[in-house]
Amino acid sequence: MKYAGLVLANLGRNKLRTVLTGGAIMLAVVLVCLLLTMPAGLDALLDALASNTRISVHNKAGIVYPMPHAFTRKVRQLDGVAAAVSTTWFGGAYEEAGRVTFPNFAVEVEHIRAVYPDYPIAPEQLADFERYRDAALVGRQTMQKYRWRIGERITLRSTVWPVDLDFRIVGEIADEHAPYLWFNREYLDQALRATGRPGLGITGMIWARASDPNRVNAIMREIDDMSRNSEAETACETEKSFFSNFFGSLQGLVTIILIVTGLVTLCIVFIAANTASMAVRERSGELAVLKAIGFGRRVIFGMLLAETAVLSVVAGVTGVLVAVGLTRALRVFAGWSPALGPLGNFLVTPTVIVDGLFVSLVVGMLAGVVPSAGAARKSVVQALHEVF
Amino acid sequence: MPLPLSYSLRNVRARPTRSAMTAGVIALVVIACTLFLGLISSLKRTLVTSGDPRNLVVMRKGSDNDGASQISLAAYQAIRYFDGIARDEHDRPLVSPELVVQPFFRTRAGGRENVLVRGVEPVALQVHDTVRIVAGRMFAPSAHEVVVGRGVAGRYAGAELGNTVEFGRGQWRVVGVFDAGGSSFESEVWVDARELGNDAKRVYPYSGIRLRTASAADRQRLEDRIDNDPKYALDAQPETEYYARQSESANSLYVLVVGIAILAGVGAGFGASNTMYAAVQARTAEIGTLRALGFSRGAILAAFQIEALALAGLGFGLGAAASYGLSALLAAAVGGIAFGASTFTTNVVALRVGAADLIGALVLAVVIGVCGGVGPAWRAAHLRPIEALRKA
Repeated sequence: MKYAGLVLANLGRNKLRTVLTGGAIMLAVVLVCLLLTMPAGLDALLDALASNTRISVHNKAGIVYPMPHAFTRKVRQLDGVAAAVSTTWFGGAYEEAGRVTFPNFAVEVEHIRAVYPDYPIAPEQLADFERYRDAALVGRQTMQKYRWRIGERITLRSTVWPVDLDFRIVGEIADEHAPYLWFNREYLDQALRATGRPGLGITGMIWARASDPNRVNAIMREIDDMSRNSEAETACETEKSFFSNFFGSLQGLVTIILIVTGLVTLCIVFIAANTASMAVRERSGELAVLKAIGFGRRVIFGMLLAETAVLSVVAGVTGVLVAVGLTRALRVFAGWSPALGPLGNFLVTPTVIVDGLFVSLVVGMLAGVVPSAGAARKSVVQALHEVF
Repeated sequence: MPLPLSYSLRNVRARPTRSAMTAGVIALVVIACTLFLGLISSLKRTLVTSGDPRNLVVMRKGSDNDGASQISLAAYQAIRYFDGIARDEHDRPLVSPELVVQPFFRTRAGGRENVLVRGVEPVALQVHDTVRIVAGRMFAPSAHEVVVGRGVAGRYAGAELGNTVEFGRGQWRVVGVFDAGGSSFESEVWVDARELGNDAKRVYPYSGIRLRTASAADRQRLEDRIDNDPKYALDAQPETEYYARQSESANSLYVLVVGIAILAGVGAGFGASNTMYAAVQARTAEIGTLRALGFSRGAILAAFQIEALALAGLGFGLGAAASYGLSALLAAAVGGIAFGASTFTTNVVALRVGAADLIGALVLAVVIGVCGGVGPAWRAAHLRPIEALRKA
């Protein structure tokens, strides 16, 4: 500790270099954190789903294959099913025709409460949602993206059904990563009938909640058995399995992101090592003098290493802070994108922060080891020779 | 008089470790950028090359993709005989009615993905003339046979010539593999439209129509005529435009990559600056001598700037070579990279680092070199000769 002053003084000796090195490491840490927030968003989403008992019931052939709406009631009546809700993709485009910028579904409003008790929705908003025919509940991510307020009216033009619907936003799903919009299924049904069509006899997906976690597998089997040999055979999955399959196609992108993260980490090594070696080389005379007057190898090694470590830790902490700020801006700016899915959440988890700090500290120190050890090992006579 | 070029280049070599590390940082940044750029441009290329400028896509008004559209038989029959449509040698109009569904396919790895299955009639091969069967043969109607694109073949369980693949409500025999010039058709499975309609239990027989126009003037006329036809409420657009719109989902990725490139570039610029400042410092006496010999400030500025650029060039060279290797390695290891398109289907994209991506990275490297070198070069040029010499 008593050498702290010397370490700091050495760092301040070439301020420009210290700032440049620190800046470079900081930017690299920002990048590492930013990149890691992308897979973190996906992992967090899947982890959050791991514990609940919701079951996805969809057509075995695929989610674009419909099921008869009446099947929802059958699922609901099964023993052990606490609640079930049917959801149907509306594919509504806001503002610009033909471009779906957030997922929106027609749901059975009266069953939302029971299937999603864990969702942060204010009770009075939920009551309004059940009361008004044209009511819509919107995820906070989309609310923020369009700066919508509760009470606002919006129009969505469907890309799937031949109708446009006006909605009144009555509440929000208070989760920053919730992009979707829910509205009353009957509203869509009536609108379809008004155009002379038979109405909404189908459903895209049924979400059922099991009352007992141990019965989830049995219920899934029961539902699939119930639909066997019918028009629409179903395939049940847990919510986690459904989403991990749904986002499975992002895995390739995640691979690339992780590779690039590795490359950037390597950059930090190079930058820090370069600076450390420059510092050691320029100071070889001084170090020789220190040794000549009795400073031990370990002390010199420790001091040089501490210099690199202090610099990279300060840069790392700054980098992490900048990354946290940047992700906030990015989230608002980027919003839900089909190309990124939950990768676009830019979720800063504790793991991401720890990784950023770890990279800067350990990697920065490792980079300092070789030059510092070299300097410490050099014999006094040899070093003094080089100077004089 | 300018300093000889070799002066700058030799100086890069004089401190091999330091130069190598700086060039290494630039190389790593170059690799990171080319990989990302390559990924996005591969995705864009896949989508953009899917469209043929002579073709029109006809969908229900308001649909954003043919998976969400539906068209009645009556509409198809009416449009088929519109004027201005190209005809084949038997004088049949080149109008391809198509039904698109996105069922689940099991991947080899055990996951599942939505794959675009296109129900077509024989005329489809004439309208989409980039599609060529490269192995096996075209499917026979009503025989539960399919042909699969190159990107699909091998990716999904059973999706190879002679095997059976499971999707929808049944099993289908793979009788052919087709190539489509790297376009997104290669991520599709083609099957008899009527069989697919039965399997998917669709009310409407088709989801959209692709047609070949006889000339550019005809294309415009047909587009207007279909758009303004009140009876069927359809919308026609050039196929190129349709795929260009789909590729817009890649634009949000572009913003991300440009952001990453800027961050990484500034960082690498700092690193390069550092090295160059150290070089200036170490050579103070030398610079003083040069100035005393009569070399101008401009000459010294240029010499150091060139040195910085040489470092950047070296970094770019290393990085470009490495990214080529890495992308080939990745392609071999993971095959195509899957993208969830906005239409909820999977596009299998072959990662290829192209010339445009390398040019993008070169620009970045040059900017790093110029910006990283300008400070140190300026300092070198403005050293006062007497003071500089005194240090010697």
